[in-house]
Amino acid sequence: MLRFENVSFRYPHSDSSVEQLNLHIHKGEFVALIGSNGAGKSTISRLSNGLLKPDTGTVYLDGTPTTAIRTSQIARKAGFLFQNPDRQICQNTVREELAFGLKLMGLPEAEIQDRIADALGRFSLDGDWFPFSRSRGERQRIALASVLVCRPQLVILDEPTTGLDYKECTAIMEYLTRLNREEGLTILMVSHDMELVSQYAKRVLVLTGGRLIGDGAAGQIMKDRALLGKAHVLPAQIPALALRLDEGKEKPQFSDVFTIEEMFDTICRLRKKGDSEAGKGAALS
Amino acid sequence: MNLLQYLPGNSILHRLNPVAKLAAAFLLGICAIVSQSVIFTTLLIVLLLGICFACGLGKRALGLTRNLLVLGGMMFILQLFFVRSGDPMLSAGGFTLITQDGLSSAVLLGLRIIATMLPLMLLFAITEMNDLCGALVKRLHVPYRYAFIVTTAFRFVPLFTAEFHDIEDAQKARGVEYDGGLIKKLKLSVPLFVPLLMSSLKKVDSGAMSAQLRGFNLRTVSSGYREYPFTAADIGCILLSVLMIAAAAMI
Amino acid sequence: MIRFQDFSFRYQSGKTEQPAEFALKDISMEIREGEFVGITGTSGAGKSTLTYSISGLIPHHFAGDFYGSVEVNGMDTVEVHPEQLARFVGQVFQDIDSQMVSSVVEDEILFGMENFQIPRDEIKRRLESVLEMLEITPLRRRQISSLSGGQKQKVAIASILALQPDIILLDEPTGELDPESTIMIYEILRRLNREFHKTVIVVEQKIMVLCAYVSRLIVLDKGQVMFDGSSDSITGEIELFKSLGINVPRVVELGHLLKKAGLYDGEIPTELDGAEKMVREVCADAEI
Repeated sequence: MLRFENVSFRYPHSDSSVEQLNLHIHKGEFVALIGSNGAGKSTISRLSNGLLKPDTGTVYLDGTPTTAIRTSQIARKAGFLFQNPDRQICQNTVREELAFGLKLMGLPEAEIQDRIADALGRFSLDGDWFPFSRSRGERQRIALASVLVCRPQLVILDEPTTGLDYKECTAIMEYLTRLNREEGLTILMVSHDMELVSQYAKRVLVLTGGRLIGDGAAGQIMKDRALLGKAHVLPAQIPALALRLDEGKEKPQFSDVFTIEEMFDTICRLRKKGDSEAGKGAALS
Repeated sequence: MNLLQYLPGNSILHRLNPVAKLAAAFLLGICAIVSQSVIFTTLLIVLLLGICFACGLGKRALGLTRNLLVLGGMMFILQLFFVRSGDPMLSAGGFTLITQDGLSSAVLLGLRIIATMLPLMLLFAITEMNDLCGALVKRLHVPYRYAFIVTTAFRFVPLFTAEFHDIEDAQKARGVEYDGGLIKKLKLSVPLFVPLLMSSLKKVDSGAMSAQLRGFNLRTVSSGYREYPFTAADIGCILLSVLMIAAAAMI
Repeated sequence: MIRFQDFSFRYQSGKTEQPAEFALKDISMEIREGEFVGITGTSGAGKSTLTYSISGLIPHHFAGDFYGSVEVNGMDTVEVHPEQLARFVGQVFQDIDSQMVSSVVEDEILFGMENFQIPRDEIKRRLESVLEMLEITPLRRRQISSLSGGQKQKVAIASILALQPDIILLDEPTGELDPESTIMIYEILRRLNREFHKTVIVVEQKIMVLCAYVSRLIVLDKGQVMFDGSSDSITGEIELFKSLGINVPRVVELGHLLKKAGLYDGEIPTELDGAEKMVREVCADAEI
């Protein structure tokens, strides 16, 4: 779906850059891109949808180099949700906002109306709302709806939950997860919220200083403290707890712990072992 | 590159009193307008560029000159075909295209535009807006409120340009095609002003609140911490600019 | 120090006929000197409105219907101007960039002191001390636009501290920061609270950070206070928090799980230190 081949990019007036990047995101994956501010996360997301063109190397979207097609054609395949919905929303009603992208695609009017009606329902939006006077969470929902109404194969989410409360955040993430599972939507999510990443992403890419230093299954990456430390990313709370419990131990016992359930199971297992050893001791005496 | 952006530095030009810089920029502008000589105006531009290079601002000054050349060039072409007096130089089918007067006044106008704008743009490159504001209040007793509003407006320009670029990117990502003719681009840009206006209003309001809570309304002329004394260099700079006007008027 | 009495506020609505809903409703509470208060809640719950009503921007900057009273250091916010309150309350706003009035770090910190006509040598002393306090002395001549988000936030806090307020209000100061910078800012707030005895009031979405740092947590929902207590006492309110759309720290959930299984019956922890102790206690026999 999305492939980076030896991609390098450097902003003209800034230090941030991406160097010699190789990565391949397959159709239907839910990938998170993590790293501290300035690690190059936004650069990668902008390279992915052609807003930036690589200095060297090639970015392939669905097999086509992004340099070979227009940004508007890329936009049909890859939707992009910005951190700040206010940059995206530019129409006076939610209905017009949803229609905006569809009209650019040149769809017939009937189909446009169908899709809008469908999206309004799915996202519990009112077509007559004036978007600018809605809350931040609602504006983010409007922005997401207007991206997804175009039915892209890939969506790139740039810190999609900044400024959202937990409730709105969960609602949006649950919806995306369902699309990913049921309709095979490919998702690339840029985030530094490790709780969010560990909860939803299947695969995690770790970035620091414009270089990819980690790529693997979420469970595996989120447990790799050395790697996260190198990327200046703080682990989520449960892995952080596991790290503390193992600190200075010759034989780490919590190294596989990633979720609350795993933590609970490990504790139970350790207790049983403790009980049986205590039992042995009692039997001996 | 943002033409209004300040370039930090510690050259003689940077260290001049902001009021002196402002005065010199205006006086040199007047000098360029007064001058009727192509040679003098050319020398003025060369002199300005020379000073910039001496102060480590050469790259910026050349960049500015390049941008101004486009504007100057446009004016040159307009003037060239609109001035009809003087001996014909080029005719086609019995119709005079270019006259001697037309050519000389077109050259002068083009150069003049460069020579007037260059000092003004340099002013922004070497003057911190806060310093300009402070010096205007301290030295010229401009009411703080007005000095603050004007300088803040300039300071917000890069913030707004960045915001506009981000908004444009957001629209490109949705499939809006900005390539193509100027008219098409303008037409497509119109809806972008809605989000820009919305976010600008929010930014200005938050700036106003933050200034208010830090006692903006209590400010008086004596409030400024920094002093902006005039030095010999400042006076010399202004005198030199006045002399340049005199020279321009005489040549 | 800060006292709300039957306070309600409704923003003046624009063109629409029907009046806007109350942004804050029947707030009665007191915030005492030296507290470190976290305010959280879903968006639209009235968190920012609460900060504006402490700093006096409500009713002096935002028009609307004002009921009840808000007192700061014994002064009624309706009667005194925000400038007068500013000597006691400093506010850092949500948008880092637009609240800056200068382009250079030092000038930003000078701004407030200049306005309040603080004597020159005192200005110099305070400038150096706040730069020192926030460890930004090397940045003093830097352009603000060239700083990272965390550094900008430090400058914003420094510019407030220079006015030596007793109360510091911050509206989502870490919203755009990465986790490392977030911790850095909260360490600073903790130091201001403990060493410099400032009353700190912070609006924050990141509940795990709040639980690790604040001493008192206030949860707003639709303009009303739904929870007000020590951050440890949230452990008994998981259901309430979930119903309000606010998550609880993972370690709280873990504590509940262990308790339900009958493995633990102590205090449920809200942050890592407590959680570590809990797990060690539960596994005491297993010698981890």
